[in-house]
Amino acid sequence: MTFCALGTLWACQGVDVNSPNIRGIAYVKIDDVVKHAPLYPQLSRLDAAIAMVDLTEAAPNVPRNAAQIASEDKKLLAELSAAKARAQHIIYQKQREYATREQAAVAAALGAAHGRPTGNAAAAFGQVSQQQAQAAEVQAGRDFMAYQRSVVQQSNGAARSVVSRFQEEAVQKLQAKQLQEQQRETDLQLQLSRQDAAERLSLQTRLSMLALDDATRRKLEAQLNAIASRENAAMSAQREADRREYAAYRRQVMVQTNVAMHGQLSQIQSQTQTELTSRRNQVGAQLRAMAGPPIGRVSPATQAQLRRIAAQFQAQYQQDVQSVITEYAETSDTLAAQYAMLHSTDVAAASAVQQEVLILEQRRQTLYNQIVAQVQSEAQRLAREKGLRVVFSDVTAAPGGYDMTNELIHDIEGKSE
Amino acid sequence: MKRLFPTLLALIALATTLAPAASSSTLNDVGYVDQSAIAALPAMVNISRQLAAVQAQLSKQYAVDMRSSRSPSQRQRVNAQLQQQFVTEQRNLEGPTFMRVQLAIASVASSRGLSVVVDKRIVIYGGEDITQQVVRLLQSSQQIIPLGTEPPPSEIGYVDQAVLANSPQVKAASQQLATYAEKERRYYGLQFQQAGSNAQRQQQIAQAYNKAMSDEQDQLLKPVVDHAQAVTAQVAQRKGLLLVIDHADILYGGTDITTDVQNALNK
Repeated sequence: MTFCALGTLWACQGVDVNSPNIRGIAYVKIDDVVKHAPLYPQLSRLDAAIAMVDLTEAAPNVPRNAAQIASEDKKLLAELSAAKARAQHIIYQKQREYATREQAAVAAALGAAHGRPTGNAAAAFGQVSQQQAQAAEVQAGRDFMAYQRSVVQQSNGAARSVVSRFQEEAVQKLQAKQLQEQQRETDLQLQLSRQDAAERLSLQTRLSMLALDDATRRKLEAQLNAIASRENAAMSAQREADRREYAAYRRQVMVQTNVAMHGQLSQIQSQTQTELTSRRNQVGAQLRAMAGPPIGRVSPATQAQLRRIAAQFQAQYQQDVQSVITEYAETSDTLAAQYAMLHSTDVAAASAVQQEVLILEQRRQTLYNQIVAQVQSEAQRLAREKGLRVVFSDVTAAPGGYDMTNELIHDIEGKSE
Repeated sequence: MKRLFPTLLALIALATTLAPAASSSTLNDVGYVDQSAIAALPAMVNISRQLAAVQAQLSKQYAVDMRSSRSPSQRQRVNAQLQQQFVTEQRNLEGPTFMRVQLAIASVASSRGLSVVVDKRIVIYGGEDITQQVVRLLQSSQQIIPLGTEPPPSEIGYVDQAVLANSPQVKAASQQLATYAEKERRYYGLQFQQAGSNAQRQQQIAQAYNKAMSDEQDQLLKPVVDHAQAVTAQVAQRKGLLLVIDHADILYGGTDITTDVQNALNK
């Protein structure tokens, strides 16, 4: 008798639904009943799962938020810019150094051809033309650096767009997979619920309607528990399978994305290097043409020697500069990879966190609706039994009417125990 | 136990004595409408589309006006003007159709002898579904004439929860809860991070976080809500009502006790 609260007391003793205080009207506090439903532990687990994802986001640095990613971006781009400036400076110095050495070698060759000492031969070019050649060389160096900056900028822009496109595709694929799995789990849940509905109802009816001895009651309750356990096990197995499938799929997508992305990034870098080398050779040839003597006035042997000198210095210069370019390309590659990693993991992770919360909330809503449907179905049965006219859910206040909440809780608990 | 039983009987007797002074017959005049069926009518869908277009246009205008506004007061003025413009457009677009829906519900309710019509969502069992009659009336070309009479008195009352939610007590409690939630989220977030890859520990922390939030909600909000419900029940009882529901769920009839509840809460 102590179990019976005021409302339940009426239920225990039989309620007069036509009394002036009730007049056939009843109400249910749905959320109170939901807390006692057999599926409520699953709802709590989903709440805990949502809290876990929420706390993952709340924890500092895991994963990085947009501002932190932007800050890391800035740092990486500054490093890339510094590496680029360093490489440009070294290349410029090498250009000057090789041009001077080549001029000296040309002067020496011409001096030897005319039987003059090297120092006089250099003077023979004339101070004015030498100054003009130097001015042209400085200007050409500047032009080349400006060109190099623009090409590298374009290359970086293209690389960023490639990274962004790939990570977007990866996130879309992962989201589609999650939605597919969620749908599968919801379908299974509904299928199990429908499949066991008749058996469960029959057991529940026997439990509630018959005067049962303890042994039979225990047996029926055990059968009900077995149904619940069977459904839980099937759902858990499905979730675990989905979790494993998703993890494998995620790994596969990330690997595919990284391979494809780095392939395209390498292609962009290779094109950049080709463009820069071609331009450098072009500028170098122009400078040599300006700085060189009028070849037509020297003997064929000297002309051949001058060509050999030009080819030799060109080859040495290219070999020397190639190491600088390779070093820059390696640095750039590393930074681009870090950039890609920063975005493809953290942005995808942040997006995945939001997506996960969304999916969990949808799953929670589906389960909640399912529980409410069960509660309502039970309430309808009770209402029919008691001859009630109307049953409301979630009223604001109730000075009258019949509160079915406790009786429903009692029924639902009794059937799920 | 011996003392509890007479007390409960006395309480039952008291509850019966304080019950609304009404006839002992059952309440048969409650109807309901599935509002999603009304919202799916072509006229309503068309209004939604037009409103979306208006909203998009005003959003663009808002962006332009905000860029050219230099002072906060100018921005405030722009904001107020555009909001007003939207409300006016909304009223112009929705007003006539909503009025027609109201008249249709009232007309059907009256012809069926209903004293109150509510939203289908809150009806678990019973009541009279008048959705199809209302839809048919709305789809017909006939003019719906206002009844000219008030709905009959009803023992179902309603309060505007939105008004009650704006009370200083509820606002203060909500604000306190939001501050607490932010603090707890940081605290448990840090613990969660420290748990590393220990899934069991992480789950414990998540459960503790949920419990802390739920407890605080019970401590801060529940007393305020319980008090408001008790006051609402007292007012309803004085007015001889059986039940009180939210204003948002009432479509026709019912007894509005919002002002009385507000006054009682402010005492």
